[in-house]
Amino acid sequence: MFLLVGLGFSCTKLDENAYDQIPADVFYTNKNEVLSAVLRPYTHANAWVTPSGQNGWWRMAELSADQLAWPTKGPHGEDGGQWKRLHYHSWNVDEDGYNNAWNLMYWGMGLCNSPIQNLENRSISEMGITQAEKDSYIAELKLLRAFHYLKLMDLFGNIPISLTVPTGSVPTSEYPATSSRKEVFDFIEKEIRENIEKTPKLSREMLGRMSQAGGYAMLVELYLNAEAWTGTPRWDDCIAAADKLITNQGGGQNGAMALDNDILSQFNTTNDLSKEVIFSVAYDYKRANFEPGFAADFFHFAQKDIYGGGRNGNDGVVVIPNVYNKYDNDDQRKKQWLLIGPQFKFANLKEPVLGTVEYAGKPLVFVDNIQKNSKNSTVSTMSEGEENSGVRFNKYRLGNSIAGFALNGTDTVRVQPDPNYNNTDWNIYRLTWIYFAKAEAIMRKNGGVATTEAVTLINDVKKRAYTAAAWPSHAYTTATLTLDELLAERGREFIFEGFRRDDLIRFGKFTTTEWWDHSPSSAFRSLYPIPQRQLDLNSKLKQNPGY
Amino acid sequence: MKNILLRISGFLCLVLLSSPQLFAKIKSEKINFNRYYFQQDTTKKQDTTKKVPVAKPADTVKAPVNPLGGARPVTTPAPVPTTGTPAPSATAAPAASAGQKTITGTVVDEKKIGLPGVGIKIQGKTGGSVTQENGKFSINVTSPTDVLVFSYIGYQSKSLPAGNGATPLTVSLVPSGAQNLSDVVVVGYGTLKTKEVTSSVAHVDTAQFRQSGARNPLDLVQGKVAGLNLTRTSGSNPNSGVNVQLRGAVTVTGSSSPLFVIDGIPGGNPDLLQQDDILSVDVLKDGSGAAIYGTSANAGVILITTKKGKPGAPQFNYSTYFRKEYIQNRLDFLTTDEFRQKITSGALDAQDYGGNDDLYGSLVNKDNLSQNHNLSLSGGTNNTNYRASLNYRDLQGIGLENGRKEYTVRLNVNQKGFNDKLNIQMNLASNFNNANTLGGSGWEEELVKNPTKRIYNENGTFYFDNQSTNQYARLQQERSKRQQQTSSADIKADIDLAKGLKGSVFGSVQRDSYTDGAWASIFSERSVEDADYPGGGYASKGNFLSQAFAFEPTLQYNTIIKEKHSISAVAGYSYRYNVEEGQSASNRGFINDQFHEDNLTTGIALTDGRATATSFKNDNTLIAFFGRINYAFDNKYLLQLILRHEGSSRFGINNKWGDFPAVSAGWNISDENFMKNIKWVNYLKLRVGYGVTGNSGFSNNASRVVLGGGGRYIYPDGAYRETYGPTTNVNPDLKWETKRELNIGADFTLFNSKLKGAVDVFDRTTKDLLDQYTTPQPPYVLANIYANVGTISSKGIELALSYEAIKTKDLTFSMDFTGSTLSNKLVSYSNDIFDVKYKTFGGIGGSGALGDAITTYEGAPLGEFWGKRFAGFDAAGKWLFYNRNGVAVHNDQINYSKDPNLTDLARIGNAIPKYYASFTANLAYKNWDFRMFVRGKFDYQILNTTALSYGNPSIKGSNYLRSAFDKYSQINDTYQYSDYYLEDGTNLKIDEITIGYSFKFKTKLIRNLRVYATGQNLVTLTGYTGNDPDFVLDSGLGPGVDNRNAYPSTRSFLFGLNLGF
Repeated sequence: MFLLVGLGFSCTKLDENAYDQIPADVFYTNKNEVLSAVLRPYTHANAWVTPSGQNGWWRMAELSADQLAWPTKGPHGEDGGQWKRLHYHSWNVDEDGYNNAWNLMYWGMGLCNSPIQNLENRSISEMGITQAEKDSYIAELKLLRAFHYLKLMDLFGNIPISLTVPTGSVPTSEYPATSSRKEVFDFIEKEIRENIEKTPKLSREMLGRMSQAGGYAMLVELYLNAEAWTGTPRWDDCIAAADKLITNQGGGQNGAMALDNDILSQFNTTNDLSKEVIFSVAYDYKRANFEPGFAADFFHFAQKDIYGGGRNGNDGVVVIPNVYNKYDNDDQRKKQWLLIGPQFKFANLKEPVLGTVEYAGKPLVFVDNIQKNSKNSTVSTMSEGEENSGVRFNKYRLGNSIAGFALNGTDTVRVQPDPNYNNTDWNIYRLTWIYFAKAEAIMRKNGGVATTEAVTLINDVKKRAYTAAAWPSHAYTTATLTLDELLAERGREFIFEGFRRDDLIRFGKFTTTEWWDHSPSSAFRSLYPIPQRQLDLNSKLKQNPGY
Repeated sequence: MKNILLRISGFLCLVLLSSPQLFAKIKSEKINFNRYYFQQDTTKKQDTTKKVPVAKPADTVKAPVNPLGGARPVTTPAPVPTTGTPAPSATAAPAASAGQKTITGTVVDEKKIGLPGVGIKIQGKTGGSVTQENGKFSINVTSPTDVLVFSYIGYQSKSLPAGNGATPLTVSLVPSGAQNLSDVVVVGYGTLKTKEVTSSVAHVDTAQFRQSGARNPLDLVQGKVAGLNLTRTSGSNPNSGVNVQLRGAVTVTGSSSPLFVIDGIPGGNPDLLQQDDILSVDVLKDGSGAAIYGTSANAGVILITTKKGKPGAPQFNYSTYFRKEYIQNRLDFLTTDEFRQKITSGALDAQDYGGNDDLYGSLVNKDNLSQNHNLSLSGGTNNTNYRASLNYRDLQGIGLENGRKEYTVRLNVNQKGFNDKLNIQMNLASNFNNANTLGGSGWEEELVKNPTKRIYNENGTFYFDNQSTNQYARLQQERSKRQQQTSSADIKADIDLAKGLKGSVFGSVQRDSYTDGAWASIFSERSVEDADYPGGGYASKGNFLSQAFAFEPTLQYNTIIKEKHSISAVAGYSYRYNVEEGQSASNRGFINDQFHEDNLTTGIALTDGRATATSFKNDNTLIAFFGRINYAFDNKYLLQLILRHEGSSRFGINNKWGDFPAVSAGWNISDENFMKNIKWVNYLKLRVGYGVTGNSGFSNNASRVVLGGGGRYIYPDGAYRETYGPTTNVNPDLKWETKRELNIGADFTLFNSKLKGAVDVFDRTTKDLLDQYTTPQPPYVLANIYANVGTISSKGIELALSYEAIKTKDLTFSMDFTGSTLSNKLVSYSNDIFDVKYKTFGGIGGSGALGDAITTYEGAPLGEFWGKRFAGFDAAGKWLFYNRNGVAVHNDQINYSKDPNLTDLARIGNAIPKYYASFTANLAYKNWDFRMFVRGKFDYQILNTTALSYGNPSIKGSNYLRSAFDKYSQINDTYQYSDYYLEDGTNLKIDEITIGYSFKFKTKLIRNLRVYATGQNLVTLTGYTGNDPDFVLDSGLGPGVDNRNAYPSTRSFLFGLNLGF
């Protein structure tokens, strides 16, 4: 009976408790909580900007272009034909993969909106931060939000703009409508211009975050592609924004921003020390227990034997045949950034790495073709790969977790475990890319013809890939640096970095030319369709023309 | 509505608080509600010899088979029966009648044991008698042609001429079979007699259980309850569960398992039950009965009643069995020799690693022997009784390191007081088990790897390579175990408050806790090949604690007005609180194997920040007010009303409470006068019911925005700390799923009570289906919201029959049949806000990311395979498929759109069997008994993923099915999912054959002894070529995709013994 009396007070009480989760309304109570929300979109960017093993921006930006593909390799990689449709430009409006990219990118955008809204609605005293900190966090998040819209517009063109997050059910009448690509372009430009000065300059403290430098890089990208995206060229604006970075006005993550002197500092395990990185997704496996995601898409099933680390991959993305040969043999990038030929174990260079599927128990040899060599077939299509097909990614390095050996010339040298193993940051913008953009803007302004300034810009970056002895015969002149050559050199320099689709579009080649197993498609394929799922859900969205 | 219920509950509180005064006032009334309890056990084998008169049928409610006839309440018979109740006519002519004779004799049951308390009357005359404890009786008759009628609950009545009394009569009564009309059915917060039930309830008691080494309580009733579908995708793995589905899928993401109520504990844990402890299982199949359990009842309610002690001499029961399992169906892969020959002959381009081991066979525990021992003791007096049982089981799987040892104790005590006005029942049960969870997996790996790979290197160490795991070595060098204790305690106090009014207070606590430990030696493959700490071992330990509390006071009222209006009502309040918490930690980088998982701190990964530590906690509360009224007019017209008002802490703030009403009616047609002449109908009842139930089985905090960790990122000071962002979209309207169900049924007994059965037709619709619906992005941050949107429906017919074909002194033969058919549809998945045209289920898995096999469009049946239509192979062995125009094209020309107007994909099959049927044959001849159980699933397809992945000769690097070189030899292309790999799953299984022998003893020391042998999973008739079709999920939303890594299907043989003394 007394039980019942005791119960009387809570007879109908149904409060919901949260013990290991945080209800949103009890957060933002100290500086670290604020920072934890400000930094959340960056860990999410891993998923969509980098080749993370998911259908995000990166796959859509690279696998429909002329350098990389994910062919079917024996039992692996058919994947419902989605990689073929990317390669052939024959995608449907209701591809799950592209809806996934939309989901991931708008999710990231929402992860910017959420702290912006929360910061704006709270007093600095309840959050335990200064007004200056509050302003700079909001400005940084607005730039980062603009970055999301920039990449969304890059893929989908005409997209909805939303600047708030719901706090209750949202009536369908309040769903955001499609903005034209021009409107989105203008919005991004305005947001960057309004917030760039309020955002901190790049510094060691801003490593891995959006900064003034990142803001200028976004402007460079915006203006470089302005003609392709809006019909109006903005070459002078592009050059002006690029100069801000070249003259170190946006800050640098290690002192003054400058080109690195070599072609590995930007991509190795200590690339947080690179001087040319403008904006990156930062990784520190040691301290964050969070790894760069690219192993999944690029690595072979037995890759860890090759580099002495712990990670294998799905044997997915490979270099399209003959792209390898676009590098001349003196070009160090050909050796350093790509893997080809027989593979040997890092732990014992005399021992070959063995295959696991067609070459199970036999030496694994990466080849510059995509065909069934084990059956002596020369049919080379997206359907006819084997486990060793295609030249492989070796640009970013994870380092080695075990001791092993490396070849230094003809000498074998012992290599100790890399203390920075798995700490490699993924660059979103680096200064080299700004040099190329400025050079291109100069040439475009000049009727497609290189000037001395443009040639110098390109030579400054390219010469790092050559020995001093070999360089003179490979340096560009105003005569040899044509637009086509610039596109080819962009391909060599920025392979795997996510820019190839944009480059082909800007050079008018994305839908009109053929490469390997790809035939020309239609002009409307320069934009991906708005995912049918989203159109079904939001009647205020419009499908892109042609679909 | 809420106010009314609050008032009712307020009244209830008041009455309970004042009840001490109430029961102090009332002392002389005789109301024997509690005596029902002792009649529930229909295992006559055990209680016939010790039948105590006080445990006779409770008669305060008119019993349909009252031995003395009429509606007059029968007083408790005296312990020593009279030798004949003087009939009025007899007393009118005392001793004068020359024809007056005393007839004596014995009434025995089917085991030839004397039956006490059997009612005897003389047809057409007054007077009667009752048998004594040993079954002996005497009765006075006036004429040798007088007909004596012997009646006893649970047995068929028997009539025979009295004769001249020269020799004592021996009267054998035979049990009246499976569906006794006086059986008490448990319907939740009370019981009803079968005849009074108006909803679809299946009652199965001990006599009908499958006696064959049940692994789970539901095994006992498999094939007895039409519409109850059990799938055991992990076969006989002792550490696996069973998938239960009643009447088709009712939910997408909510809880799909029926609610278990064990001795009144809502959400009771079936793991606490041993076969020998279970008295009966009642299944509330439709909403009109299940509504009493409100938001927990959508998937049906399974009520389990455990055995209780009985007044009388103490009894001991011991039962045991031993079981041995053999692999029944090994997939037809090339043997090592065959594989090697193919390499030699050039038919196969593969590496020969030189091994000669049976890799798959190395994982098999050929010495498996499982055993079960159960000892129960029970007894008591009229006021106190008890039953205790102790169970020990050692279950050994067909896999090495794949077993479970457990002890279960269960104690039940009942005690009456206050002149029988108070009855307190307590149950205490605890299960201690040690599970070895290391083995039982890895089957696919060893089946499909290159069979020339080795287990050991030449030097005797284990062979490791990076591309595969040496599963045998894993079993030797690792450890994974769970030590679990599950307990429940409940107490129920029933108080007679006034005539017909009873108050009950029920409280229960369940506590489930376990400690998991896992360890891998520094020499194990997992350790050697570890990326971060090669050779550093691995260890982890974790704890889990779950507690569930229930408190449910009820009031029950029964009355009969003017002999014809029978009313019984129950009202109550329910408070349930569940809380779960746990933590786990792991570490690597140990220098030796000294500590196993018992000193986690010593690994270096902890220092490096690479060790893991997690913890969690969540809780939820469910509160309800409920009531039920049963009304019967003249025992012919029955009506039942139920209402439950229930709320859950999980629901959104705008929708905390819901109402769950039900109404049902029954008509005992056979009691109508116009039916009296239809001799072949012994009993017939029509039922119709409609009820609303809900489902609150989803995760906590689903309705509000919560923040979750998004991984660590670099802070301005260079430290990497956790980041936080929203992990859910807000939905303040989130609520329960609502199922509405109409059930129409009939119960019947026909042809001299030889054929009994029930037929039910139902139509159920679940609205407001909970799921992760795609949100428009923007404005929503995340791609999904947990919301109530869709509608799912099922319609079906169920039939249960039992037929007593032969019934003679020495020979009985009976058959049981159940059958069901079902159509399950996803009616809609959209509303004004959310729009989902289709949903996919049933991941195919394996290489090549083949996606989901099943696409369910709005308005279409569940379980439909959507895929390509096979059109042959081209000359090069490449796949051809039909496009929507019927033209054969290559795969890269297939349009994979989900838009039915564009796509080349088509509906190519359905994974849900159209018909289920089971058949049991029971044969008893003298001391022998025989039982055969056959069940089947008909008219459906299965995707043979094993053939898809390992029957393709063009794929290199693995072992092959033998069919790769004949049936599938022309394939020269990658994996493809199409109707090519869909096979008919129809199968018929001889699931069990049992032969038993019961010994007879002259001595009283041994009450009974039966030994039996059972064979299980003996024969499967099917055209399906993959794994045992029984292992393929045929329920839920993603059925029909065979599992490449299936646990081996086993055939088992079991020897058992039951002893009562």
